[in-house]
Amino acid sequence: MKQRILWSAVLVAGLALAGCGSATRPTTSASDSEKVAKLVVWDWKSGEETAAAYIQKAKADFAKKHPGVAVEFVAQPFDQYYTLLGAAIQASKGPDVMLFNGGGQIRDRVAALLPLDQYVAEDKERLAGWDAFSQDGKIYAAPVTLQGHPIYYNKTLYEKAGLDPAGPAKTWQDLVRDCGAIKKATGARCFALGNKEGFGIQFFLSGLGSGVLTPQEYDDWIAGKRDWNSPNVKRLFALWKEAESSGLNNDGANSTALFNDAFAVVQSGKAAHIIGLMSDIGHWKDFGEFLGADKVGVMAAPVVTDGATPSLPYDGGIGYAVAKWTKDPRLAADLVRSLTTTDALNSFYSDAGAIASDTTIDVSKAAPAVGTIVSQIKSGKPALHVALSSKTLDLMGRLSQKLLSGSATVDEVVKQLAASDKAG
Amino acid sequence: MGAGARRASLGARFERHAPYVLVAPAVLIIVALRLWPLLLGVNFSFTGDGERNGSAVGFDNYLELLQDPLFQGSLRNVGLLVLLLPLAVAIPGMLATFIYLRVPGHRVFRSVYFFPAVLSPVIVGAIFNLMLAFDGPLNALLGTVGVGPVDWLGDPDVAMFTVVGVQIWATFGMALVVFLAGFASLDATLLDAARVDGASLARTIWHVIIPSLSRTIQFVFVTTMIGMLTSMFGLLYVMTSGGPEGSTYLPEYYIWIQQGQMNRPALASAASTVLFVIMLVVGLLQISVLRRTGGRT
Amino acid sequence: MAGRHLGNRIVAVPMAVLALATIYPLMFTANVAMKSRREYILDRFSLTSSLQWDNIVKAWSSVGMARYFANSLLVVSVSVALLLLLGSMAGFALSQLRFRGSKALYLVCIAALLIPFQVIMVPLARVMADAGLIDTYPGLILAYVAQFLPFTIFLMTSYYKGIPAEIVDAARIDGNTTYGVYLRIMLPMGVPALLSVGILDTLFCWNDVLISLLMMPSAENRTLMIGVTSLRGQYSDDIPTFASGVLIAAIPVLMVYLFLQRQIADGVTAGSTKG
Repeated sequence: MKQRILWSAVLVAGLALAGCGSATRPTTSASDSEKVAKLVVWDWKSGEETAAAYIQKAKADFAKKHPGVAVEFVAQPFDQYYTLLGAAIQASKGPDVMLFNGGGQIRDRVAALLPLDQYVAEDKERLAGWDAFSQDGKIYAAPVTLQGHPIYYNKTLYEKAGLDPAGPAKTWQDLVRDCGAIKKATGARCFALGNKEGFGIQFFLSGLGSGVLTPQEYDDWIAGKRDWNSPNVKRLFALWKEAESSGLNNDGANSTALFNDAFAVVQSGKAAHIIGLMSDIGHWKDFGEFLGADKVGVMAAPVVTDGATPSLPYDGGIGYAVAKWTKDPRLAADLVRSLTTTDALNSFYSDAGAIASDTTIDVSKAAPAVGTIVSQIKSGKPALHVALSSKTLDLMGRLSQKLLSGSATVDEVVKQLAASDKAG
Repeated sequence: MGAGARRASLGARFERHAPYVLVAPAVLIIVALRLWPLLLGVNFSFTGDGERNGSAVGFDNYLELLQDPLFQGSLRNVGLLVLLLPLAVAIPGMLATFIYLRVPGHRVFRSVYFFPAVLSPVIVGAIFNLMLAFDGPLNALLGTVGVGPVDWLGDPDVAMFTVVGVQIWATFGMALVVFLAGFASLDATLLDAARVDGASLARTIWHVIIPSLSRTIQFVFVTTMIGMLTSMFGLLYVMTSGGPEGSTYLPEYYIWIQQGQMNRPALASAASTVLFVIMLVVGLLQISVLRRTGGRT
Repeated sequence: MAGRHLGNRIVAVPMAVLALATIYPLMFTANVAMKSRREYILDRFSLTSSLQWDNIVKAWSSVGMARYFANSLLVVSVSVALLLLLGSMAGFALSQLRFRGSKALYLVCIAALLIPFQVIMVPLARVMADAGLIDTYPGLILAYVAQFLPFTIFLMTSYYKGIPAEIVDAARIDGNTTYGVYLRIMLPMGVPALLSVGILDTLFCWNDVLISLLMMPSAENRTLMIGVTSLRGQYSDDIPTFASGVLIAAIPVLMVYLFLQRQIADGVTAGSTKG
């Protein structure tokens, strides 16, 4: 046994000294003479039924431009997507084109991606949401959807409580009062909240942020000048705690999954409001299916602080990027462009209900909620939580659970977040 | 020398080296596809992430791990799992014993106890999410007998036990199969002798069954530990996402977060190396302890 | 018979309760698989009001499940056969034969058993890629064999250790070579252990997601569990279709188990009398 320990110690020391195995292989230089016959795309969307027409149109568009090139879409399960991508990046071997979530997930991996600025210049005006896919002034992916956090409400519950479904509360005080009336009349809670994954706080922060921070504070936050000790930032976290302790949320928020249990709470009429999404799920189409398309309302963030100006928080949602190791960058970039044509995105919007990145899509015939959301995009701002690092978001999730259970105070939480934000 | 003699000597040599011929394919595969990648992986854990990608960083990753409260928490949970391990072994062991002793309905039990093991952890997790929801059926049942609702998956002091309970429930069928095979080799005359002596059930189990099954028990101990430490990802992902408040983190989940979500592959590599060392120590300890107790009888 | 102990009857009651608890999830899954998505979201527990066979059809046809099913069948059956062969050979040698280095080789197998897949995941993918085995059936089979071989060897070794050395000696006196002992004595006597480890290896390979994802980047080479997993997208709430997929995947393994568990209990006597 002793010998075995000694032997392992020697081995460990040797490895520590040697520790030179490079994480990334040197990328082989692209040889243009090689004829590329096939492009491989990784994503987690193309297998879904609601994306079928979108993919079909994008493929057709690409085939017209490059008839000899085959395109294979490989749908990966989302829970292992970034793990597999990590393995591919370490081996510098993998798909030519890949899907990313905007924000931290793509910014952490730009070293493996190709800057797309020269290829997508023509699309810059037509599409929105580029910032979430940019780092240090360079664009790394073309946005497909916009993701944001409108506050949805159930008009039927408003009617039952004798409230005006067309005129939701404009201030936090009024909202709390309305919720009291709804609870009395229908028994429904004010908010559907799922914070099992720690996502509830992200939606809360971004959904209500513009009603709490002043426009100056908001812009500073996005620009990276975040004062965690300011009274208004603390007010946001205090509001989170207060909403729970005054019974506005559904029971057991810390054990309710945002995806998709919290959405089901709204869909079954057990809560009147939810800070939802604009794409993927938990959006107007999802709620409309259960509540009736014209019974889903969208309201602006209720004002808490004087001088705050409510705005729609949104960023680029998902977008396609090109790997550094692809053999023919222009070809791969062309595929990305085919994946963001108006025609293709229009299909994605109408089938999946995603708010697409293309600003020229006609939404006038859609449900009223869509009209409200799209009309607010111009005045919208980036979401507060998207500006934070993955690490800080992870910490915020855990601390927010402590706030709900009462095992941490707002001051402690803000202090820890400030430290993490500074370090990351 | 005739051809026959040469063939005979070749046959003799083939026979002399028989043990090596028998183990060679297995060992070659294990060395090439398990141990060699392990060395590469351990080597990788001494390199950096992000901007320090590829450069040697010595023990930096390990120092960072030691200082991360989340990783510390995940190690504490490993300790908890090791403590709960005897329970996870005893339950299928007892059930297999009773099935072997032919309790009424043993054929049915033998068939259905394996059912949970064939379901994907994702669906098992989803079902228990519903059962254990704050306003779910289990709390409703407890309410009727006057016990207040428990937030099974939302209370940091309870959640880990809940997940381990579900894991045991979902996998005891596998250990049961191993025990049944162990019983299959049990010498029935020993049991008959015990019965003739008029030994009680408890004494029979203690003096006859446990000693005869010591190797099976050892095997189930080691493999159950491996199952708990390396294959609870599905349940954790669906049931708690490591929460609430990070209370259900296990090294495995930590590795997944660092590798996939935080893009820290080298740090994840260091964490998995630590996990390997823990498993090696606990596994070898178990084997030597159980061998000693088994050898005494 | 030992079964006449009075305690047995009392024990049967909690065991029956446990049996119900183990059947329930499968029933629940089947019930959900028959529901419409809408019905599931509004009430998860209620008995389904209609039988939505569409879900099963949808799950089967949506992502080329038939092809995945065939892939899984091929890969898993070859892998398990190899595992049992190599595992019993090594188990026999390590438990019954004396040779230089046997202890060290046994330790190597145990150590390999304790390696978490995460630590070797990326390097393994690289080794396989260098060998040109990525995206091939032999590659995936080899990866499965490597992953579950230590487990198989561990079980076979501990099982074979229980066989008295006299049996092996007697067979040698009868004129058997070592290989003859393996084929004529050890394989038949190992049937219960081979069956039980075979069930477990089948289950592990069949339910694996990560190794298959890593080894088979092409869509058409994937295995059944990947197809099932992809029925549940990032945010998908179409649980009924997913539940249908889970059922489709679970039934074959269940059949294998139900068929073989009898053999484990009954096959023993056959094995030992023959030996």
